[in-house]
Amino acid sequence: MFLQHLHLQNFRNYSSQSVAFSAPKTILVGDNAQGKSNLLEAVEMLATLKSHRTSRDRDLVKEGANIGQIKAQLQRELGVSELSLTLKNAGRRTAVINGETLKRQQDFLGHLNAVQFSSLDIDLVRGGPGGRRIWIDTLLTQLEPVYAYILQQYNQVLKQRNAFIKQHTANADDLDDRIDTTLLTSQQQQITHHNQSDQIQLSQMPTQMAIWDAQLATTGTRVTRRRSRVLNRLIPLAQRWHQSISGDAEALTIAYQPNVALIADDPAIIQQSFLEKIQSRAIAEYHQRTSLVGPHRDDIDFVINQTPARQYGSQGQQRTLVLSLKLAELELIEAVIGEPPLLLLDDVLAELDLKRQNQLLETIQDRFQTIITTTHLGSFDAQWLKASQILTVDQGRLVASS
Amino acid sequence: MHMLKRPEAEVRALANALVAAKQQVGQCSQCFHLSAEPVCDICRSQARDPNTICVVAESRDVIALEKTREYKGKYHVLGGLISPMDGIGPEQLNVGQLIHRVNKEGTSEVILAISPSIEGDTTTLYVGQLLKPFTRVTRIAFGLPMGGDLEYADEVTLARALEGRRELDS
Repeated sequence: MFLQHLHLQNFRNYSSQSVAFSAPKTILVGDNAQGKSNLLEAVEMLATLKSHRTSRDRDLVKEGANIGQIKAQLQRELGVSELSLTLKNAGRRTAVINGETLKRQQDFLGHLNAVQFSSLDIDLVRGGPGGRRIWIDTLLTQLEPVYAYILQQYNQVLKQRNAFIKQHTANADDLDDRIDTTLLTSQQQQITHHNQSDQIQLSQMPTQMAIWDAQLATTGTRVTRRRSRVLNRLIPLAQRWHQSISGDAEALTIAYQPNVALIADDPAIIQQSFLEKIQSRAIAEYHQRTSLVGPHRDDIDFVINQTPARQYGSQGQQRTLVLSLKLAELELIEAVIGEPPLLLLDDVLAELDLKRQNQLLETIQDRFQTIITTTHLGSFDAQWLKASQILTVDQGRLVASS
Repeated sequence: MHMLKRPEAEVRALANALVAAKQQVGQCSQCFHLSAEPVCDICRSQARDPNTICVVAESRDVIALEKTREYKGKYHVLGGLISPMDGIGPEQLNVGQLIHRVNKEGTSEVILAISPSIEGDTTTLYVGQLLKPFTRVTRIAFGLPMGGDLEYADEVTLARALEGRRELDS
């Protein structure tokens, strides 16, 4: 696929800016804080409906404006389509494809696909599990747009269940110990002691808890299974890239660590073990007043030569690992959707040594449209620069460089 | 602006109607649907089957169902959905009244017609569990829209439609 044209209206520090992409590689050069990454962020929004930098639309709208807009013209094998995303300081987004306003914004996903690679991605290895979950969820959303809905449903159940636990443990503090036990055995619905008015109140509570448990298990199982499925496809690709970049010197192992183990391929069996684990953690959930079981506690382990990459990997090893993951993402998206996705390289090329740079550039060649940001052109290969479109970014304006 | 161009009498009539609606429209004491009378037209109607109660979240759902002219039973409006985040539990809804009503009237079927959101599903399951010992409980089917093409349905909708499949009428 090829992004032919992008227009930003009151987006971040851009007032009104059009960009026509004329080569497979576009280099955005400029000092820091001029708007290079903002432009990549706009493309990221088109691909995922999310920004890795903010979750609030008003951060994306230019200061002083109420409405911001990203418009794009995208060439795919089946034809050219027009994408437009309108963001508001207050209120819901509008997503439009070829002049048709979408009822479900989820339908916007899957039109433009992109892999983003920034210097911050080293946190995939060094940072906490939350970053790894966002990474795999973002990839899944692009491969299977319905996953955005599945994940949103799970998060909604999680929020409701947490609110329910907080309310009912707060109430229980004022009551006696005997009632605490009834709260813990959430599946038990019969309470024989207590006077009558109490009985109605309390016998209803555990029933509602059991329903939230079941909803968490049903929606959570969907999330876990899909994460597992995409990782099973991604891991061999990442391992191959890693082997090739490290020159066979290192062996990479990637292991999905779901909070609720995938003991079988059958959703019903997983849901059952999900519920059993909730039961076994009931006392801890009661004391910590939050949900402790489910895919919101998943992690992904990276191990190089039997050593966890997070703790022992050298800087170079960690970079090789992240590069391998990104190349695997490119390959997987291309295999699934049948067209090469865009590649967004945010300030990352300069950090790679020559060997890794070459590996990346060889892979990209002219097949993947690539948008690159950098503060200086010095570290780029001369021949490569000649074939690229170079744009200078200066305070929210783009100027073609000669 | 449109109102300013209309004759004064018309504007006054509208204003009076709005005030009257605000003053007079309350809830039906039986089903909690909007009503100007203590008991609403549907609950008082002799033509409607008293053995069936259709449970909905809001009054607007009653209006939507009435437009179909397909349903001949009575209603019960819960007044919302279970949502702990908003501090809404069964105690804030007209759930107790529903159980009481089903017991008193000896209802033979309760149809749960609540949207399939997370909160809607929780409410459906909760009310369903409470009513099961007393009566037959059903829920409306969810699936493909009329004129919808199987090929274009998303998989969540398709999964719901499969779940709610039924025997082909011969």
